[in-house]
Amino acid sequence: MLAIDHLTKRYGSTLAVDDLSFDVRPGVVTGFLGPNGSGKSTTMRIILGLDHPDKGSASIDGRPFAELGSPLREVGALLDAKAAHPGRSARNHLRALAASNQIAASRVDEVLAFAGITAVADKKVGQFSMGMCQRLGIAAAMLGDPAVLMFDEPVNGLDPEGIRWIRESFRTLADEGRTVFVSSHLMSEMALTADEIVVIGKGHFITKGTVDDLTATVHGTVFVRASDPTALAAALAARRGVATPINDGGLSVSGLTSDEVGEAAFAAGVTVYELTPQRASLEEVFMELTADSVEYGGAKLEPHA
Amino acid sequence: MSDVTFLSVTRSEWIKFRSVRSTVLGVIIFVVLTVGLSVLITTLIHAHWNQMGALDRLTFDPVSTSLGGISLAQFAVGVTGSLFITTEYSSGGIRSTLTAVPQRRRVVAAKLAILSGVMIVLSEIVCFVAFLIGQAVFSGMIPASTDTLSNSSDLRAVILGGVYLTMLAALGFALGLILRQSPATISTFTGLVLLVPLIIFFLPTSIQDTLTRYEPSALGRAMTATTPPDLTFGPWIATGVLALYVAVVLAVGTELFARRDA
Repeated sequence: MLAIDHLTKRYGSTLAVDDLSFDVRPGVVTGFLGPNGSGKSTTMRIILGLDHPDKGSASIDGRPFAELGSPLREVGALLDAKAAHPGRSARNHLRALAASNQIAASRVDEVLAFAGITAVADKKVGQFSMGMCQRLGIAAAMLGDPAVLMFDEPVNGLDPEGIRWIRESFRTLADEGRTVFVSSHLMSEMALTADEIVVIGKGHFITKGTVDDLTATVHGTVFVRASDPTALAAALAARRGVATPINDGGLSVSGLTSDEVGEAAFAAGVTVYELTPQRASLEEVFMELTADSVEYGGAKLEPHA
Repeated sequence: MSDVTFLSVTRSEWIKFRSVRSTVLGVIIFVVLTVGLSVLITTLIHAHWNQMGALDRLTFDPVSTSLGGISLAQFAVGVTGSLFITTEYSSGGIRSTLTAVPQRRRVVAAKLAILSGVMIVLSEIVCFVAFLIGQAVFSGMIPASTDTLSNSSDLRAVILGGVYLTMLAALGFALGLILRQSPATISTFTGLVLLVPLIIFFLPTSIQDTLTRYEPSALGRAMTATTPPDLTFGPWIATGVLALYVAVVLAVGTELFARRDA
């Protein structure tokens, strides 16, 4: 189990991680979600002992990373950036890593095959595409057959076949009882991959739960089509609902349940043709949860007159 | 119980050392420079011996002359030592290294063991070869050249030549631990060996005469001379002073390496 305990990390004047606490349990795939610059990579780097926290701690089964006797056999990690010398072959990169933890050289061939890069094992890493680099990183993470696996933005640069392969791998690894912790800035990816999701923004913990838990925290809208949209909108406004016209006579209502919209229509004497509760998509939940904590928000580009 | 021992990390670093072109090429350049320049310098002196003045002939040191290639080879070994650590940062490989071996001081010790092990073996071989080339070229034609390795000051100069090159490789490595970037490390190393003597040269003579003996390349000249040149330390003191420099820079580098975010 991974435990993050009141972690705080500051780089100069930037507060990258702010009093962050959460646990990641084995047997499930846990997504680590946040906008770019929200502190996901920093948190992972601290777990791996690469960066030192200003306050708090991270531990693996109760021990800090630096105290692990055989790190590669306990934690496997794929980091977001390059992590191999471009002039070294993939095989030699893995051999050097294996040697440091006294892992048999034969294991190198196994992980190369697992990652599907046996054919390019003797090529220099500098000639690899981003997808091949990701596969090499995944091979390195699997070297010690560890119980805890961490992947930072693993689908970046992978082709569709690679993405499917990695999703299936996560599932298999979690089913084997391992802790699988996967970061992404894409909610849609997490919805497909993760059982549980930890959401952070600007270094803060926002929420944690299953995909269903998270969608339930945000109220969806209600779509209603009625004979007199103007009268209905006025009736809804009286009940503190916000109605937005969307298409011929249709209204998108937020702040009220479908029952309340139906009752309002009945009281106003408006005939309802269609009444559908719209469940918030995970993407919308994510946007709403992290709206205040987007580090690099883009402005809308206005058309040039 | 730990699988990460000094020996296992050393084995890992050895795989890294020999599996990239930068280190292998650095070593080849250093060998070629030391031996090649020894051939060039000694044969040129051989050809011009009759035009040399009486004083030059009298103070001629055939041993340090045949080791003259060190003056260029020292940059090749310094760069090799620097790149052994700085390329880990430029490539991001340091993250892989430290997630496999979180004991950072052990990483430094293992890298230093491989670097200095390779360097001491090669540079001793290369210095002896350079010496023997010099002997072969000078034999019979230079009266002063009665040098053999049974002469203790000759043997010392040749052995310390290899020690000097090894210590400079360690110095380059130690600077790399501190500066982390290849260009900064290589220019600092070059500055120490090449520019410090120049700066000292422009100081008033009295200060110059005191300071010269402390600069790295003068220490190298003292170590590889059969009789110490003017204004330098004796060979053993020079070795000690250089060892002290390297030890201090290494200690600072190791401490920073252990404490900083990778």
